[in-house]
Amino acid sequence: MFNRIRLRFQDIKTISKLISGADEQAHINGDEMPGAEHFLLSAFKLPDGSARRVFERAGADPDDFHDAIRKQYNDALNSIGIDEISMESDPEPVNSTKTFHNAKPSGQAVMKALYALKQDDKDIPLLGAHVVGVVADMEHGVAARALRAMGVDQTHITKAVKEELESFH
Amino acid sequence: MTDIKTLPSPDNPEEALAAVVALRVMAERLERKAVKKAIEQGWTWSQIAEALGVTKQAAHKRHAASILKKKINKKGGR
Repeated sequence: MFNRIRLRFQDIKTISKLISGADEQAHINGDEMPGAEHFLLSAFKLPDGSARRVFERAGADPDDFHDAIRKQYNDALNSIGIDEISMESDPEPVNSTKTFHNAKPSGQAVMKALYALKQDDKDIPLLGAHVVGVVADMEHGVAARALRAMGVDQTHITKAVKEELESFH
Repeated sequence: MTDIKTLPSPDNPEEALAAVVALRVMAERLERKAVKKAIEQGWTWSQIAEALGVTKQAAHKRHAASILKKKINKKGGR
């Protein structure tokens, strides 16, 4: 009982860090609201380190994900013949006065999926690995395309998430 | 303006929709930069709204907070 309460407090702290980190990543990258890709970038910075470990287990470098986001935008622009210009590598940050109040639909989907996951598994704290698992399950959207752009195999990620979470049980 | 030379096949909606998202992101970034420059050059919110084809309230709601914060940061020497 006490352990459950302790985990719940820990989860609240993690969610707070995850959301503020996603917000920050969105603003740094010139977006007003965070999407799933920003939640993944934020998960890489969580102190538990599990999101980074999952990527490394799957043979991917988490530091490549940021560039992969830009690459999938450029690939998409190239597909319609816009190849002379590309997305800025260093876009002007959004100077928002707002704290987190909303997310893009993909960001909202991440939060909903995390909530559902935690309802099913109350024995371990919310981890960055959970976020990786949720984002890797997405079939479409910026995050999914970025993962494909960096050649990440979804089955490897899913397996690595499972192994990482099992080590916490 | 760069011409769109080829459009993705409708049989490949994944590619077409990815292009739509990328164009939208580019448009948003260009809009923010252009509005910031317009304000710096003394444009009014009414002029900006007219140029963007939106209401003055919509333009102000979308950009004013960000521009105001930048001004405050500049005054504060940050």
